[in-house]
Amino acid sequence: MAAQSVSLVIAGSGGAGVVTAGSLLLEAAANAGWYALMTRSAGPQIRGGEAAAMIRFATEPVASHDDSFHLLVAIDWENISRFAAEIPLVADSLLIGDPALGDAPAALLRNSPRQAGLAMSEIASSIEGGRPNMVALGAIAGMIGLPVAAMASVVTRQLKRKGQAAIDASMAAFNAGLAAAAGLPAVPRLPAVDSAAREERWSITGNEATGLGAIRGGVRFVAAYPITPATEVLEWLAPSLAKVGGVLVQAEDELASINQIIGASYGGVPALTATSGPGLSLMIESIGLAVAAEVPVVVVDVMRVGPSTGIATKSEQSDLNIAVYGMHGDAPHVVVAANSVADCLFTTQWAVHLAESMQTPALVLTDQLLGQSRAILPRPAELAFIGQRQTAVAAGEGQRYKRYALTGSGVSPMAIPGTPGLTYTADGLEHNELGTPSSQASDHQAQMDKRLRKVAGFDYGDHWADIMDAEAGGGDIAIITWGSSTGPAREALERFSAAGGKARLISLRLIAPAQPDKLAAALAGFERALVVEQSHGGQFHRMLRAFYDLPRQTLALYQPGPLPIGPARILDQLNAWRT
Amino acid sequence: MDAAVAEPRKLAAKDYKSDIKPIWCPGCGDYSVLNALTRALAELALPPEMVAVVSGIGCSSRIPAYTSVYGFHGVHGRALPVATGLKLARPELTVIVTSGDGDGFSIGGNHFLHACRRNVDITYIVMDNQVYGMTKGQASPTTAPDWEGSKLTPEGTGINPFQPLVVGLASGANFIARVSASDPINMAKIIVEAVRHPGFSLVQILSPCVTFRPEQQEWRDIVRTAVVDYTDDAARAARRLMTDDGFNVGKVLYKGSRPPFRPEFEVTDGSIAELEASFAI
Amino acid sequence: MTDSRDIGNAVLTMPELLAHALAMESEACERYGQLADQMENCNNAPVASLFRRLEDIERAHVREIEAICGNVALPRLAPWEYAWRDNESPETIDIGSVSYQMSQRDAVALAIEHEHRAAEFYRGVADAAPDAEVKRLARQFAGEELAHVQWLRDWLTQMGSSAERGVDDPDPPNSLE
Repeated sequence: MAAQSVSLVIAGSGGAGVVTAGSLLLEAAANAGWYALMTRSAGPQIRGGEAAAMIRFATEPVASHDDSFHLLVAIDWENISRFAAEIPLVADSLLIGDPALGDAPAALLRNSPRQAGLAMSEIASSIEGGRPNMVALGAIAGMIGLPVAAMASVVTRQLKRKGQAAIDASMAAFNAGLAAAAGLPAVPRLPAVDSAAREERWSITGNEATGLGAIRGGVRFVAAYPITPATEVLEWLAPSLAKVGGVLVQAEDELASINQIIGASYGGVPALTATSGPGLSLMIESIGLAVAAEVPVVVVDVMRVGPSTGIATKSEQSDLNIAVYGMHGDAPHVVVAANSVADCLFTTQWAVHLAESMQTPALVLTDQLLGQSRAILPRPAELAFIGQRQTAVAAGEGQRYKRYALTGSGVSPMAIPGTPGLTYTADGLEHNELGTPSSQASDHQAQMDKRLRKVAGFDYGDHWADIMDAEAGGGDIAIITWGSSTGPAREALERFSAAGGKARLISLRLIAPAQPDKLAAALAGFERALVVEQSHGGQFHRMLRAFYDLPRQTLALYQPGPLPIGPARILDQLNAWRT
Repeated sequence: MDAAVAEPRKLAAKDYKSDIKPIWCPGCGDYSVLNALTRALAELALPPEMVAVVSGIGCSSRIPAYTSVYGFHGVHGRALPVATGLKLARPELTVIVTSGDGDGFSIGGNHFLHACRRNVDITYIVMDNQVYGMTKGQASPTTAPDWEGSKLTPEGTGINPFQPLVVGLASGANFIARVSASDPINMAKIIVEAVRHPGFSLVQILSPCVTFRPEQQEWRDIVRTAVVDYTDDAARAARRLMTDDGFNVGKVLYKGSRPPFRPEFEVTDGSIAELEASFAI
Repeated sequence: MTDSRDIGNAVLTMPELLAHALAMESEACERYGQLADQMENCNNAPVASLFRRLEDIERAHVREIEAICGNVALPRLAPWEYAWRDNESPETIDIGSVSYQMSQRDAVALAIEHEHRAAEFYRGVADAAPDAEVKRLARQFAGEELAHVQWLRDWLTQMGSSAERGVDDPDPPNSLE
């Protein structure tokens, strides 16, 4: 990854078709055998607003955006300053604009990037049906080394229903842009790749991966209430669930969603919903009900900037507190976090397995950055995790069925409605082993111990964290992070390692319950730790301090959204410690 | 109509009761409801394992534990979505929701509207005593505006009471009835009809609270058998309900013919592999 | 109900009469049992044991009726197909008419009231019955119910003044959730 990549931005407004252009480019790159990561940004208007597509291309899988962009092509300058903080340019960056539309705004020129002009609108208007965004794409393709054939097949497929004339017009505009690229200053180019020789690759977003992970894990009932940036998880699941015999129902609010999935799961069907911070807040009471009544459910929180309505379209890692501590009472449950687009699939599938095995809620934390990024990545491996619930088929000889029997593991066989002789009432009230409401101290203690034991004593295996060492191995610096901060941390480690530095990256996938022994083992010999997270209040750091022993020299690097933490910032600290 | 199968073995009403003693005050209308519900289940001859009673929070919501069928005692106001999820995931079960006027129409009000709209095949039994009994006697949405018996609203609420049957009809409920707890046999009959009728069935039960609304004992003398039989014309039902004084009981008021909400499946061979193929480059 | 359920006197065949008699006694037995449970739950011991005694007595009545029924095939009636004049069987105490503070006198008064109604019911059946055997048996049942009434009155007299006292409870109601 430190090897070859090129990062570019396409920006424009109104009818410029930036989002379309970015998608076409991504697809063409996929056809060309490259890997990529694309994120998008937009103004607040529902239609016609300004937009920017940010793409990083590479010949190897891409973990994160770079610290700056090599190339920015502005189809127009409308309100582009809005994105200035998100599209950092350096002196070597190339800023291309349309000369007919005036000068670049000062916000983009702070680091004095190189500038060049490309008369996109003039070239487009000289072609019947030509559009400036296709001219831009042609120029970009020429500059970064994207084969024409890769774009041609994409355009053909996308515009097939509009007819050959439309295809021809688009390709003509593209080719005109391509020709114009010859006269433009250079940016990094990627080599051609024999895509046929490639391993199988997918084009997928984190939200889609989350949905697929749910289905692979065995989820067959989903209740949906739309909320940015989680809605696409539910939209992907709606037709997909139907294909595998599952059900998706739109609920009237998040209170209905969480309770519907509790009902479905009580009925024996693995169930899931997806939401964001405000929705998770609403669901908290009922997640506690699922803990008390021991009903497995999976709740995905695609985190966004908080608090309250916050910035719905931007990412932040600040729902950790509510996910871990949000329930009233002591309510042990499982919280897991995906650390990449691909990991959204693994982690969600794993969460279904965990929820079903332990008959408890499993919260999956992803975020807007992972959820709405589209990646070209290697096809994710098949996993063995399918939700397996311990069900009761008969009470003991001459005995009454004890739904909440005190077992060694803490997991009690669960009767599924329809099974004769095992009827019981699930209850949020504290109860005895039979499920009868009880206010007895001994029952509360016993049930609390049981509910804690079942999640604390579970064997989570190696999946509690992803651990990555520098090439040289060893060293005494550990980076501890989670979620989408993992991508930049990985990149920082790769650069550090390429320069001979030694460090270990530990990205926690299992957020709750804490695994102090495992982290202690992973940190053995490491005397310094850098905690990296995207929250204003340092939620992850405080959680680590609460549950884990950290090295004496621990530094917390945290910032709130909406901007992601860049690899350079992490690398700077690693370098500072190296000298 | 759900899959209410008549089994050869014939259970009596008491076989549908558990051995847990209700916490209710003697004289409470909910005892009558428990009797009627279990009688109805016996008449329907449903195997206990094929029935689920779902409730929220309140005196009425304690009912599931007093039955010997599958039960779910959830949180305040959220019984309807639990029941919805359960029925949609397990359509072969008979799902009955038991709730009160506070749980059902205050905190549960939004879910009530949408459950009527959604018209899933469940039966909703609401024990209406115009008070929050469990929390010691506050006004509920169905309490008259001038009732001064609550410390929270000592001058009365001053707000129009909620009219559950009108709102239920307007929102799309497919079966509407009102019964009195003083008439448990008729209640059993109507519960049987409600369960058998497809779609969302709403049964309001005037169920006196002997502790916080002792004056409701006179309901048994005030209620009267509804004069007309049910209508299947929503507009006519609306006119009747809007001019009703709330004490016409003992008959079904409305039976609609909306088909119950049932999700469509589209199972294909290749299933998950097909889904994954959509991502492949 | 403010309107009187005027269904007149029920015209019953012998099997129907027997079915009604059996239902009356079993439902009365079950109801007394429920009321005894409630009173035990609320710690009104005197009334609890009184209802429990009545439950036992009704259970004996059930066995008597079963003996009379012998091998007669009884019609299977839904609860609402019985010809009761009131909301439930005449011998069944309305479950909403009790109070946890009630006195034994209150409880027995209720039982007496319902035995009277049971007698009324049988008298009505006897009057309306075209069949002589049905008439005879219905009159016999009516007589037995009146005997129960007398028995209850005697029992009440025996209890004396202690039976008049209800349960005094100065504590306020509980709030559970």
